[in-house]
Amino acid sequence: MTRQSRNNLFKGMGFISPWLVGFAIFTAIPMALSLYYSFCDYALTSPTHAPLWIGLENYRLLLRDALFWKSLRNTMYYASMALPAGMLVSLGLALMLNAPIRGVAFYRAMVFLPSLVPTVASAMIWLWMFNGRLGLFNFMLGKIGVDGPDWLDERWAMPSLALMSVWGVGNTVIIYLAGLQDVPKELLEAAELDGAGRWRRLISVVLPILTPVIFFNLVMAIIGTFSILIIPYIMTQGGPNNATYFYTMFNYDQAFRFLHMGYAAALAWIQLGIILALTGVAFWSARKWVHYE
Amino acid sequence: MIWIRRFSFSVLALAGAIFLILGSRENQDAPQDFVIVEYWEKWVGTEAAQMQQIVDDFNNTVGKERKIFVRYMSMTDVDQKTLVATSAGVPPDIAGLYDQQVAQYAALGAVEPLDDLAAAHGITEQTYLPVFWKGCHYNGRLYALVSTPGTIALFYNKQIFKENADALHAAGLSSEAPPATIDDLDRCAAILDQKNAQGRTERLGYDPLQSWYVPFNPYWFGDNLFDAATGQLTLDSPGAVHCFQWIAGYSKRLGLQTLMDYQQNGLVNFDSPQNLLLIGKLVMQQQGPWMANYVDHLNPSMSHVLVSKSEEWKLKNRADNYAWGVAPFPSAVPGLQNVSYSSFDVLMIPKGARHSQEAFAFMAYVNRQDVSEKLNMLHCKNCQLAHVSSNFLQHHPNPYIKLYQDLAASPNAHGVPQIPIWPEVFKELNDDSQSVALEGADPAAVLHQAQQRMQERYDRFHRIEIQRRQTGMN
Repeated sequence: MTRQSRNNLFKGMGFISPWLVGFAIFTAIPMALSLYYSFCDYALTSPTHAPLWIGLENYRLLLRDALFWKSLRNTMYYASMALPAGMLVSLGLALMLNAPIRGVAFYRAMVFLPSLVPTVASAMIWLWMFNGRLGLFNFMLGKIGVDGPDWLDERWAMPSLALMSVWGVGNTVIIYLAGLQDVPKELLEAAELDGAGRWRRLISVVLPILTPVIFFNLVMAIIGTFSILIIPYIMTQGGPNNATYFYTMFNYDQAFRFLHMGYAAALAWIQLGIILALTGVAFWSARKWVHYE
Repeated sequence: MIWIRRFSFSVLALAGAIFLILGSRENQDAPQDFVIVEYWEKWVGTEAAQMQQIVDDFNNTVGKERKIFVRYMSMTDVDQKTLVATSAGVPPDIAGLYDQQVAQYAALGAVEPLDDLAAAHGITEQTYLPVFWKGCHYNGRLYALVSTPGTIALFYNKQIFKENADALHAAGLSSEAPPATIDDLDRCAAILDQKNAQGRTERLGYDPLQSWYVPFNPYWFGDNLFDAATGQLTLDSPGAVHCFQWIAGYSKRLGLQTLMDYQQNGLVNFDSPQNLLLIGKLVMQQQGPWMANYVDHLNPSMSHVLVSKSEEWKLKNRADNYAWGVAPFPSAVPGLQNVSYSSFDVLMIPKGARHSQEAFAFMAYVNRQDVSEKLNMLHCKNCQLAHVSSNFLQHHPNPYIKLYQDLAASPNAHGVPQIPIWPEVFKELNDDSQSVALEGADPAAVLHQAQQRMQERYDRFHRIEIQRRQTGMN
């Protein structure tokens, strides 16, 4: 390495050192420690109560833990509804908001607005809307002679939470909209000249060009749905009968209520593994359906 | 335009400068040369303000004499914040936590033992009612002092009992006195249930799930949840199974729809004008003495039936002025009387606290009879102390406070089982009650599985503790 290139390296490292230090202190070291703790009995209670190495016991224990499987099943069930619903609704809204209609800025603002409402406030509003007896949904259904269900009972709670998740798709819609702005007009015009109708232009031109954006949103949605915590914690606290007890709630309880930080670390690493596997599948399949220019 | 940019930049720069000059700084309230005791407490809102009065009293009297200043911080999730601060080696000097955390934190070495400090301040077994003294201990050592207790009894709507006198009398029940046995409670509840024309329940006599204390219900069925002598949980004892069968009985009678209706509108609306007890949608509930404050705040008409509140002292019996009453929650075991669950909030000194002597001086002050009575009257709770004044009993905002005090003093008063994994057992029993009530699961089978799971957890905890001691890591 020449003197000049060494100087450049030091300068470069100097410039990125704030990020490097931050990454090391707040991400890399905690991750390494949590991996170590996942093989320990550790409670985060006192500096004198040091982590005790117990090997694979945490992992063995959680495989026999009924709540682990229940929370995992719940999370998968929620993801199987919330993920496609969120993707389809946000894409549909973006396509509509991309149309050259009067007042489009107003509609865009309306769609984005729910994303700005604080999570706790929106959870409280939805709690009221879902109320089986006094809620808005059943009031409206009653007007057309339908006796609505208890939206937060054991059978309906999960679909209700998935429905609610669609309310906050504003951010995803904005990303889709940005992607739609990048669709070359000349391609659309060429397709139109070739006799392609709106539907054909959407399927054969717009969506293929939008696939990198769809892929990005898919990966973010996988991470988001598998990390859901706050909304169900406020609205159902995991109930009734653990019907909405998500993986992250289970993890949180183990770490901070039951003080099994080692066990919680093992859970976190399994969660990371699941998310990595699913995003891995998404990346693998992306070769077949994502088109980069 | 460049002048707009310059103007905006100047305004921002000025705001920054003002913030730097006048912004956040060290609290100046504390007098110089005083030891500052950091006190973190879970209460927010009214209860926090009431504790602040006690802190101020201390700072102006004992604190001034002994050069101690208590800096009080009210916060949510105080347990988690204390935990993280303790782990980081910068804990508060006093943490206001919950009874279920005494054994949990003590077993994990997160709090200081207080035996010597208590003895030095003259706080002994005789100071407290036995249920609270026992609850502050783990493995024979004292780890906490009580800040405020709350003993659980049966709260009932006297007015609705009177309105249904004929039906109650026809069933051989009293409309003047609350049910004295579980069987009477069930029969009363069935009579007081009310449905509308569409068949939807408009009022419930009683619903066991409308309680924060479901996991403690086996106490009223003769089970202790844990046998300290054998180190065994007793979650599937005959008493506990009977208790869960009783819960299942309500589920069968009321139906899933009603239970879910009440789940959604019940305890979530506790601190609101829609509180089911206060709007007559629920007739009986397990509640603590603090309910009197909530009635006064949310539906004061229930607390001055005959005369105004200010004149009720002239009545021969204050309780006559109230449309609600309190009684011991009935036991299912013949002859087992005055059973209660006595919960309590605690003050503990986290491991590594810098001013434990001064911190304990404040904790002892909170447990001085006059101070404890003041705080418990403000919070509308009973008192942890073995002796209370007649003023406390006569002028307490809850006219039934003597009953709560007697329940806490009863040999059948129970606290939280002093086991480190109680928070897990609590969740397990709550889940099991829901599984029995909402899924129709078999109580005996559910509790048998719960017993196996939790006993395994409990044994594992001790096995690892032994391993720790053997490797010198404790």
